[in-house]
Amino acid sequence: MADSFTYFLMSWTDLSLLLLTAIGTFAGIYIGAIPGLSVTMAVSILISFTFAWDVNDALALMVGVFCGGVYGGSRTAILLNIPGAPSAVATSFDGYPLAQQGEAGQAIGLSTVMSVIGGLIGVLILASTAPVLSEFALQFAPRDYFLIAVLGLLLVGSLAAESLSRGIFAASLGAVIGLVGMDPVTAEGRFTLGSMQLLGGIHYVVVMIGLFGVAEALFQLHQLNVKPVRQNVEKIIPSLNLVLKFLPLSIRTSIIGVIVGALPGTGGDIASLFAYDHAKRSVKNPSKPFGQGAYEGLVAPESANNAAVGGAFVPMLTLGMPGDAVTAVMLGALVIHGLNPGPMLMVTTPYIFWFMVGALVLANFFLLIFGLMGIKLFSKVVELPKAILVPLILVLCVVGSYSLNNSMNEVYWMLGFGIAGYFLKIFGFQMGPIILGVILGPLMDNSYRQAMSSVGDSMPAFLIELMTNPLSIVLTLAIILLLLSNLPLKRMIRSSKNPS
Amino acid sequence: MSKQSKLQPGEPAFNLMLLLFSLGIFYEAYRISGPGFESISSPGAFPLGLGIVLILSMVVIIAGQFRKQKPDTQGALDEARQFMSAHFPLPIVIFSTMAIGYLLLLEPLGFVISTLLFLFVSMVYLRHGRFVSSAIIAAVSIAIIYSLFKLLFQVYLP
Amino acid sequence: MIKKALATLALSAGALTALSPALADYPERNIEGIIQWGAGGATDNVARSLTPHVEDALDTTIVLTNRPGGTGVIGMNSVLTKPANGYTLLYGAENPQLYPVMGLADFTYADMTPINVIGQGLVVIAAPADKDWENLGDLLKDAQANPGTLRMGGTGAGGLPNTVLAMINSVDELDVRNVTFGGDGPGITAMLGGHIDFMPLSLAAAQEHIASGRLKGLAVLTKEPIKQLPEVAPITEALPEIESYLPWGPFWTVAVRKETPDDIVATLADAYEQGVANEQFQQFLTKNGAQSLNLRGEEAKQFLDRWQSVTAWALEKAGSAKVSPEEFGIAKP
Repeated sequence: MADSFTYFLMSWTDLSLLLLTAIGTFAGIYIGAIPGLSVTMAVSILISFTFAWDVNDALALMVGVFCGGVYGGSRTAILLNIPGAPSAVATSFDGYPLAQQGEAGQAIGLSTVMSVIGGLIGVLILASTAPVLSEFALQFAPRDYFLIAVLGLLLVGSLAAESLSRGIFAASLGAVIGLVGMDPVTAEGRFTLGSMQLLGGIHYVVVMIGLFGVAEALFQLHQLNVKPVRQNVEKIIPSLNLVLKFLPLSIRTSIIGVIVGALPGTGGDIASLFAYDHAKRSVKNPSKPFGQGAYEGLVAPESANNAAVGGAFVPMLTLGMPGDAVTAVMLGALVIHGLNPGPMLMVTTPYIFWFMVGALVLANFFLLIFGLMGIKLFSKVVELPKAILVPLILVLCVVGSYSLNNSMNEVYWMLGFGIAGYFLKIFGFQMGPIILGVILGPLMDNSYRQAMSSVGDSMPAFLIELMTNPLSIVLTLAIILLLLSNLPLKRMIRSSKNPS
Repeated sequence: MSKQSKLQPGEPAFNLMLLLFSLGIFYEAYRISGPGFESISSPGAFPLGLGIVLILSMVVIIAGQFRKQKPDTQGALDEARQFMSAHFPLPIVIFSTMAIGYLLLLEPLGFVISTLLFLFVSMVYLRHGRFVSSAIIAAVSIAIIYSLFKLLFQVYLP
Repeated sequence: MIKKALATLALSAGALTALSPALADYPERNIEGIIQWGAGGATDNVARSLTPHVEDALDTTIVLTNRPGGTGVIGMNSVLTKPANGYTLLYGAENPQLYPVMGLADFTYADMTPINVIGQGLVVIAAPADKDWENLGDLLKDAQANPGTLRMGGTGAGGLPNTVLAMINSVDELDVRNVTFGGDGPGITAMLGGHIDFMPLSLAAAQEHIASGRLKGLAVLTKEPIKQLPEVAPITEALPEIESYLPWGPFWTVAVRKETPDDIVATLADAYEQGVANEQFQQFLTKNGAQSLNLRGEEAKQFLDRWQSVTAWALEKAGSAKVSPEEFGIAKP
């Protein structure tokens, strides 16, 4: 126990570790904020960069980048409606309207504090229950992932505020986009129209940058002559009262974040959407209606996606299994530095676990400092005249999508999605459900087929498993409950009468 | 977008296009599975389901059209004109053209020159002049983007 | 520490900005290394731990980028469409040798010049520790008594588990349900949860789990027991006929386009030979259950040809090849 505490404090007491964590967090915020620069990419570049370093130094830097990066995605989501990363998509739903109302500073301030709370809850759960939680995560069979995906798709009901049928169309469209590429099982192309380039699929960040960034930029051109809203830069740091008011919601959504993050097949992107949905269902009187700048709509996804960081480390540190793409790369880093990540990691090198936990806590403190710094300056971005902002947004979108794969194909796709998104937006289709589909489509397809092939392609056997396994029963019941409570006929009728 | 129960100009045509698109997706999905549906876990199973959902939801949307008032337009030509003026005013058309031109020039000219050109020209156009400040803004933003991406993150730029 | 970091940063920034002298020899600027698999995978790990040693030997920076997708087709295709001037390298795995037979693409390593065949991974067939089987023989007996009920973890057509299954099926009979996962990692996770019954895995991915006692090895794909898992029987014990395919395993290689000038190929081959021989990298390979090969030139080509012929014909014999290897002139082993 005393040892654990020493390991925990390692990054706090060693000056170079402290500095590296700080640098990492700071860099992470800006890497995360720029769409197209992902944390995964940054961490893999860091592997080469830190090759000759001591493993602790390398890890401290990476942990910092990870924490900062997950948070950073919210910056551009709030200011420009371009989520810096998929896990910040839900943040843009209410964050961007807030910025449009002159409250960008308050939105960033609140999201920073909530991210840190979420992050710390994530680490707390990681430190206290990692072995138990990872055993729990292992219980999820392919059919359970399928059920989670179904549960996720039901979020369409709350993301598509105005017309359910349009929401369903948009989500299915997203799923089709997500499926483009080589079928992982048979290696044949799906929706590739014979193109070799499309065999690799369409990167979901491309879809995101196009639908959110470019489509929004085009809409902004309608308001060329409208004077931008003056940003209120008073009271940027949320008051204690405000934080306490949202604390229960933050804790609930953080727990969602940790669990979804700890499942090896799902990560912060899905967690934040679940959290947003949870907020929408559970908060009866939001500060403003959801989708129009509700603080609750900011608190939930931001707590959840940062809590998911702690979750992602659960399978990584206990089993050597990645909880998401970033921890997969970090496992690679451990291997390259001569450690053996695996179930024995905690036995053979127990210090790694507590060192990581310590570094994560430290990174969250730096996040609070760096996150609250410079907000006034950032809020001014929204005050820039549209005639300057819109071309810059487009360049940023181009660079972001190009750097995904160093190829122009992604850039053309990005612009194509931007224009398509503009049309879809005109006719009342929303972007949220499309992204939901892109993220969940492949998960659903994969897990459905895994579940089917493990029971020998027999539907009765599948249904029997569904009704005999406790975990599956719970998930199935959750789906049924959600269906009954949220898609009543009333809503269907209203939406068909009063579409768009 | 609009909340009144009136169709927007161009809405029926757009929905029809989406329906055709959905049929196309269904056909592609059917091609994946092949003529004989091998098993319920075949690669085409899920896409086929998606195709059906796309078509059904589009049919519901189109059916909803009949409960709404027709847009105040005289004939298809007028409708197209109204649609264009509402959603594609001149700045958007010209800006989009510039954006496409920018993408086409990106590889031949290289990132720095083409971006400088695009930022300068589009800003001058959108701001109705102000050459000097546009040039300065363009140059400064390129310097920032270039140093951030190329030098710090070692990302390749075209 | 920080000083070192800053120095590295300054160096790499310097290398990036410095305009190359007009008449310098190859390499006069940064080289791009394209990894055909995603970040954190085996190919990625090999590439990232080897490259720093090669950079020392070449005295330039090799910027590594992952271009995953389509079983590596995307990454390889992007190298093939770049100029053949030695400034774009492919870090690849074994998959390209099977592209034509799997109907994925019409190119293979025959369209490239191998710079170095770095090493070959060992393969182990693993199962959850609570299964009754002691070895592969027990598994085969069980599978033949209950055909089509055991669940094998796979990674899709052309992946390692499917190839191993095909090899077994070309000499014996193993009728199982093939459940496809996104890679070794997700497969192992499912196996730890008891959602699949066995899975052929690279030793690198499996050894820690076998050491921890949560998984057990049923057989290793070698003729002799290996030192990393001395108690696991070689596959030839249960299936003597499979010996003609051995030694077999996934491998990693660095290659450039075929049209690359010879002197550039020679420069690269020297640097990579030196890099692979580096002691630190050798330790990395051993630790990760791989054998070092360090082959260049003709030797490398022979290795690639033999691997292709053995594997493609095993797939054909088991009925898993989409197109017969004969059509592409792949010689019978």
